[in-house]
Amino acid sequence: MTRSDGPAKLEGRAEFGTDVEVPGMLWGALVYAPVAHGRIRRVPLSGVRSMPGVAAAVGPDDLDRLLPGGGDRNRPVFPRTEVMYRNQPIAAVAARTASEARAAADAVRADIEELPALIDLETRFPEWPGPEAARSEGIIAHVHARHGDPDGAFRSADLVLTETYRTSGIHQVAIEPHACVARVDGGVWHVTTTTQTPFGVREDAAEILGIREADLVVEGTWVGGGFGGKGAAFLEPYALLLAAAAGRPVRLGFGYREEFLLGRSTLPSIIRIETAVSGRRIEARRVRLLLDSGASLPGRDFATGYSIGFLLGPYKIPAFEMEGYAVRTNKPPFGPHRAPFAPQCVFALESHMDELARRLAVDPIAFRLEHVWAEGDPTQFGQRVGPFGARAALEAARARIAAWRTDAPAGHGIGVALGFWSTGTGAGGETRLRLSERELVIEQGEREIGSGSVIRGLVAVAERVTGLPAESIRVAYSDTSTAPYDTGVFGSRTVGALGQAVEKAAKTLLGILGERLGTPPVRLEFAEGRIAVLTNKGLRGLETLLTDTERTAGGLLVGGRHFGTPGTIDESRVLDGTFYPYSDFTAAVHACEVNVDPETGAVRVVRSAAFHDVGVVVDRPMAVAQIEGGVAMGLGEALTEEALWSSDGRLLNPGLLDYRIPTLGEVPSIEVVPIEGFLGAGPFGAKGLGEPPVIAVPAAVANAVAAATGARVFELPLTAERVVRALKRLEGPARA
Amino acid sequence: MSQPIRLTVNGTDLERSDLDDAERLLDTLRWRLGLKGTKEGCRTGDCGACTVLVDGESTLSCLTLTREVEGTRITTIEGVRGEPAGPNVLTAFGAEPALQCGYCTPGFVMALTGLLQEEGSTHRTSNLVDELEGNLCRCTGYRSIIRAIGALGDELR
Amino acid sequence: MRVYLASVATDGKANSHALARPPVTFSFVQPTSVEAALRAVGTPGSVAIAGGTDLLLDFDNQRIAADRVVSLNGLPWKHLTRAGGRLVVGSTLPLRRIELDPRVAVDLPGLYQSVHAVGGVPLRHRATMGGNLVRASPASDLLPVLLALEATVHIVGAYGSRASSLDDFLRGSRSVDLAPGELIESVSVPYPAPSAYVWQRVRPAKDISQVGVAVARVPGAGHWNVALGGVVPRPIRSPSAERHLTRLRPKAEEITRAAEAASEGVAFATDRRASEAYRHLLVSVLVRRALDKAIPPEAPS
Repeated sequence: MTRSDGPAKLEGRAEFGTDVEVPGMLWGALVYAPVAHGRIRRVPLSGVRSMPGVAAAVGPDDLDRLLPGGGDRNRPVFPRTEVMYRNQPIAAVAARTASEARAAADAVRADIEELPALIDLETRFPEWPGPEAARSEGIIAHVHARHGDPDGAFRSADLVLTETYRTSGIHQVAIEPHACVARVDGGVWHVTTTTQTPFGVREDAAEILGIREADLVVEGTWVGGGFGGKGAAFLEPYALLLAAAAGRPVRLGFGYREEFLLGRSTLPSIIRIETAVSGRRIEARRVRLLLDSGASLPGRDFATGYSIGFLLGPYKIPAFEMEGYAVRTNKPPFGPHRAPFAPQCVFALESHMDELARRLAVDPIAFRLEHVWAEGDPTQFGQRVGPFGARAALEAARARIAAWRTDAPAGHGIGVALGFWSTGTGAGGETRLRLSERELVIEQGEREIGSGSVIRGLVAVAERVTGLPAESIRVAYSDTSTAPYDTGVFGSRTVGALGQAVEKAAKTLLGILGERLGTPPVRLEFAEGRIAVLTNKGLRGLETLLTDTERTAGGLLVGGRHFGTPGTIDESRVLDGTFYPYSDFTAAVHACEVNVDPETGAVRVVRSAAFHDVGVVVDRPMAVAQIEGGVAMGLGEALTEEALWSSDGRLLNPGLLDYRIPTLGEVPSIEVVPIEGFLGAGPFGAKGLGEPPVIAVPAAVANAVAAATGARVFELPLTAERVVRALKRLEGPARA
Repeated sequence: MSQPIRLTVNGTDLERSDLDDAERLLDTLRWRLGLKGTKEGCRTGDCGACTVLVDGESTLSCLTLTREVEGTRITTIEGVRGEPAGPNVLTAFGAEPALQCGYCTPGFVMALTGLLQEEGSTHRTSNLVDELEGNLCRCTGYRSIIRAIGALGDELR
Repeated sequence: MRVYLASVATDGKANSHALARPPVTFSFVQPTSVEAALRAVGTPGSVAIAGGTDLLLDFDNQRIAADRVVSLNGLPWKHLTRAGGRLVVGSTLPLRRIELDPRVAVDLPGLYQSVHAVGGVPLRHRATMGGNLVRASPASDLLPVLLALEATVHIVGAYGSRASSLDDFLRGSRSVDLAPGELIESVSVPYPAPSAYVWQRVRPAKDISQVGVAVARVPGAGHWNVALGGVVPRPIRSPSAERHLTRLRPKAEEITRAAEAASEGVAFATDRRASEAYRHLLVSVLVRRALDKAIPPEAPS
């Protein structure tokens, strides 16, 4: 067993957020808005307060009574005046049992005046918006940048290719739904929750509730999958408010239907890419993006400025213009989803790159190799590209698919796509290492969400620095009142960023031992349950090196911290909005072979290979597992996953039957090929690996389908019906 | 509220009189008996996280009325070591390891244990993979689970 | 001013809320004799449960409510017997038992394939044939095969027993010819019967079929029977395809004509799983594939 959490999880002993139960606990239920957009007149709760078992009912009128200053005015716990999306929580109830809570919540009769709702991007913008739209109602972010002379390049180009792509809304679908238990005790607000970011929840929930961060304690649990969906505060503010009102602990959890109806994830987009080519050289590119941001608030769009660069790609392009609009609609707010919005952008870009190569009669990989960044090249914003394994990954993929071509049956198609990601070694974190005679403890503030980055990744870093074996190293968890600060498990940053803190602390530890020994340690050793220090002078038991105080306190304690310094961009190229610098430049190349049923259009991926610019492999089994899981998620985005909304904002498929994640039989063999040597800023040169595996998969599948059939599908996911339509074998109205 | 109900859970005979007639086996196990190893996922029969054995047969506890399994022998993940195939499945999943977040894992272990013990089932690796499609995993991409099943298949042959 | 009822969807549409623990209440009885079961289900406010994998979802979604649930689990209806050239499937026999019977896969391959297409194994350990028939989902994977096999539904009631052809028994979407107080005891089909069931889904496993096509050659019938699932309001036979398929081994052009004719006059829906046009396309493809799969090979000369 290479993961220390394995036995407890296998035998059902790991306590997840959904499992938490405390004595005297009440059950919470939320009251949902029945319209996608409306003006709140009244949310009367006095009637439900006398219903059986009800201990508390809270709504917009109770915020001023229960929260300092009524809580955050911009982001109130419950909307005071306006419902922004269907099922937005407008009140909450706590009762003795879940059924009583639900019955009471269902009995609330809100007086809401329905207003016209905007659901579909194309209703708002039947045509591409002009610059005048940037400041218009409902545009929550506008980004615009230009460099060089794109207009000139387009005028003089040999070939101009203009394409429009569409992508669908998707859900994270962690198998564990959201759940938390809150209590308010002696002025301290406390919540135990399944979260990727205990400190992120503290910051976010404290702001929403209008309380001090110091008065809020967040305790994480084992997390049954996150994928971005368990990042910021979500259920916690409601549960805390209910606990404050009831004076007792309150459990609040989602059923799966609510996971879909209220979950915050990637929403639909429309993407236009135009490229000007002279000879076989890309001279200029224009990209435009309309991104459905749901009911996001102004200033809280993170996706548009960050992701639009992925539409230019990690390619040398002398002149460009890019413009993106984050459009507010009456859907739940846009939220992060494993590599937020990158698979969608890369689908559009890498489909477009293959189409360019086809028109130029160039091998698509050769075409990419002619344009891809190398270390030292400038990015779109003049940042210098760091060590970057894209070229090596593309070349490895080229060799692999050449082998596939020798035995691929007729009618199969092979596709390749290059994904680019900037892994998160920037965001910061701290750790404490505690070395006793018997173990090395990594005290830190994250919780393991499944990838192994905490339970295995941090341990592997400590192993490499100290020489200790994994069985002598333990990861300790605690709540935000005692754990060292860390921004959390997201952005592929745990090993890369928190790992650096562990690396620094471990080195400090060895330095202190060296001072005490008078000679530098070679490494630490572990035998018969005891830790010893090996130096050139021999082995020295640790018990002789610790002070009495340290032994009483549980060991020698050292801290390590890492706060990365973000790069800078050439702001002169920015015309509007916010763009972001990149940290570790990380390439992810995916190759796959598909079989397309020529009659039904059904696509089956029969084999695949993933080439990942990892810097160095910190732990091979975990790296392989992470890539396999990411590829499977990408296959779902490529082929079957799609949130469907009616024109009045009802989600039509809020369940696992009609929102189709891959099953056991649909994931083909996945060959994992780490590309090492292009070192990142993480420990030993490691780059992040949480998000990259998903990024290039939809594009590679689309390119393989085009190779198999000659037909290009311009919309995700590539359902059989869309493929048949692309083959021009079907006309008439599409699915409802 | 209703008649007492007798259940045998992980080899222990229980009699309870605090159950609702409409109660699901999932809720009885988790919230009455404290057996939280049986996971609550979709509650619509689509994810398999709540799978337990009823008289040795894999069963979705979210779509099973507790009253309907009165008198049967119920095994949850906490008791899987007592099933003939249980230890082998745990070993195979642990060795791989065929888990990440671990939330779907008890359901997979129970479903696979049930399949291996089922009369008339052929136990070929390809059949086992096909017949585990009722269980969903979002972390692993299933590859490690398929490898663990393969290792089991070898042992069985 | 418009006043809305928060949270409770009264129209039964997608956004009704199945909560982690919905407020579902009913009393439960499990009779051990058929007479007692008939009395129990004849009582107003009662509903029978035979597996419940579909029925309980309706409770959760507040699409139905009942004072009392009558479990049929105690009745002697879990048999799988063969008599007089017919296979008789007890209504409360779990689907998994049909699947694991070594002879069903040989004698009635289409039935085996359709049972195997339902949910996953843990679901099939509880779901039953009787439950599937009474629930009568337009997208059922079992109904097309049973239609093609000309299944007979054996019904018991307080005033005696009766048999009905499945075609007569199915009335519409989730609507069947079963009077209050009546129960399905069993379903029978002739065997052996060359047959096949093929389907198309957005996701191959664990999904609702966009279209399902069953074909079967029933003793005594003058042609191959063809039945279509995924049709609103209920699965149907396709006489326009069947009339081209009189030979035991139809010629290729006959199969082509049958495939083209199969969905003539059939009104498919455009819904979130497929468009009407795509369903028509699928039917023509799948009719041919089902026949290719079901037609017995030429005897070696």
